[in-house]
Amino acid sequence: MELIQQLINGITLGSTYALIALGYTMVYGIVLLINFAHGEIFMFGAFAGLFIVTVLGISNLYLAILGAMVFSMGLGVLIEFIAYRPLRGSTRLSALISAIGVSIFLGSLMVLIRGANVTSFPRKELFTMKNIEFYGLSISNLQIAIILISAILMISLQLFVNYTKIGRAMRATSMDGDASILMGVNQNSIISITFAIGSGLAAAGGVLWGLNFSSIHPYMGLMAGLKAFAAAVLGGIGSIPGAMFGGVFLGVAETLGIAADLSKYKDAFAFAILIIVLLIRPTGLFGRKISKKV
Amino acid sequence: MKSKKIVMMMLALVLVLATVLTGCGSSNTSSTSGDVIKIGFLGAKTGGHAIFGLGTLTGMKMAVEEVNAAGGILGKQIEIVEEDHGSKQEEMATITQKFVERDKVVAIVGDPTTGGTKTAAPIAQDNKVVLISAGSTGPGVVEIGEYIFRDTLLDSVAAPATMDYVVNEKGWKNVALITSINNDYSVGLSGIFKQATLDKGGKIVIEENIQDGDTDFSAIVTKIKGTNPDVIVFSGYYTEAGLIMKEVRRQGMNDIVMVGGDGLQGEDFYKLGEEAVIGSISYAGFSPEQPTAVTEAFIKKFQEKNDNAMPDLFSAQGYDAVMLIVEAMKKANSVDPVEFHKTLAETSNYEGVSGNITFQANREPLKSPVYLLTVKDAGGKLDFGLLKKVPVK
Repeated sequence: MELIQQLINGITLGSTYALIALGYTMVYGIVLLINFAHGEIFMFGAFAGLFIVTVLGISNLYLAILGAMVFSMGLGVLIEFIAYRPLRGSTRLSALISAIGVSIFLGSLMVLIRGANVTSFPRKELFTMKNIEFYGLSISNLQIAIILISAILMISLQLFVNYTKIGRAMRATSMDGDASILMGVNQNSIISITFAIGSGLAAAGGVLWGLNFSSIHPYMGLMAGLKAFAAAVLGGIGSIPGAMFGGVFLGVAETLGIAADLSKYKDAFAFAILIIVLLIRPTGLFGRKISKKV
Repeated sequence: MKSKKIVMMMLALVLVLATVLTGCGSSNTSSTSGDVIKIGFLGAKTGGHAIFGLGTLTGMKMAVEEVNAAGGILGKQIEIVEEDHGSKQEEMATITQKFVERDKVVAIVGDPTTGGTKTAAPIAQDNKVVLISAGSTGPGVVEIGEYIFRDTLLDSVAAPATMDYVVNEKGWKNVALITSINNDYSVGLSGIFKQATLDKGGKIVIEENIQDGDTDFSAIVTKIKGTNPDVIVFSGYYTEAGLIMKEVRRQGMNDIVMVGGDGLQGEDFYKLGEEAVIGSISYAGFSPEQPTAVTEAFIKKFQEKNDNAMPDLFSAQGYDAVMLIVEAMKKANSVDPVEFHKTLAETSNYEGVSGNITFQANREPLKSPVYLLTVKDAGGKLDFGLLKKVPVK
């Protein structure tokens, strides 16, 4: 019974990792950039949710998530426009360094605005906690809600990418950027849309994270971002189902690691798994085979 | 072309000279030979341990104001040099270096944490500057050298007194012990709690590890729940403590409480834990309830200056730390740490606002009594209140 309980704990944690991992993987799929500022977008999303509830006084979970998503979409697009677009033609390394710069800037900016302390997230205002007890298990309705909301967001993303015109353009850009331009795809707007969607999902992850652990702080994006990045690589960077699977897998692995008396190695666990998987399958679990074009 | 080069050279020379000259100027003004005695404040104003640091600083400022208003010591005024290490271990050594080299302080009050004190103390010791930690309670601090002191209630005194109450008076014999493994204080305190639990006849049913900065405790709480303990003992700090208790209640353990060291006593413990931390037990060498005359006067003054807020442990100990230094200077008739560290070590039965303080032969403080505290709900506002006064044997 305890094992099932731990599995549920793990899936809850993992679905937030998955939401963040999607942003890494989508951006990488389109522009081959590892957006290291993504963890900070997740953090800003969580704080945007806090702002909506405590300052604007809107005590509705869905409005809080939606508002945070809209805010972070704007932030993501803005970051792309200021920090990555001017570097589009240059080496991938300079864009990567720019991403690290944005990450540090955003983290420090939040420390300036709110201070570095841990802030309580207003869970009570947003959610009435109830435990569902059966067969010795105690699952909170919050865990179920987090898993469901993440699942709905991820399914909508899949539908969007596979069955809409913009989604098709995104897939085309990911397959071959130059060819897609020749076919009439507006690459700039596709890249902006990709950043917007990735950032929006991260923001939703941020609000759910705050809700689940009832606390947020300006450096929360660092470790969560790293783990989500590991999840994206684990699933095969560039692959959307891979990121979803990788996130949930890491969350569950981390929780089961603790259950197996390895709590000392909690953070090492995620990365150890990553190394092992990459040794066996260098492209990740769902990764496409990289074929060099000559 | 050539003249341009010469002009540039001249400019560079002027710049270098300017830096050197202003450098000299500032080092002149910061030497202690003037009529100002400098005391460094080493602590966090931001980050995870900010509440400890800010409390200490408030207490220090009050003590300094009082001493200065009464004419200072030996005709000199005291000045506090403040720095903020942002709760970062790596900043503490840098700041301590700056205190002894640039500011030329005679004494340092801080760091409030054991880990931080252990980082800073060797630097103070090597430079013959007195360091009093107004918060560190773990082992291995005063052993660093004869210039290192602390004015706190030691965990090795308080934890056994607390566990005696928990195991024998409350009858909570099955203990779940949680340690934050990247926190020196927590690792040390867990050892003391474990020994005390066994000595008093209790049993450790499960030992779990977390890290400072963790937010997800669902997995360890599920594990703890499976072992059915009577009480949770956590040796870390308030941020994680509050979040752990929140998760404990979420998983349906509705009656169990947390017992911990004075690391639990930060405002964030109830801000983050909310009603989940009611009944949690900690200990202290200070409580504003049932005060002695000295403590009562301190509380009154503190409230006048701080919008009626009650002083906490750290402000009381920060105040005492400055006063102990001042007393020692008076007794030694010197503001040189090489002299007054000896008289400081002789402090005996000093009636501080945080309790009676005696430095033993090994410079470890002996404080009496131990105050057991518990979180109470005072009309919607949570705070630690006095549970029991336990005299030290």
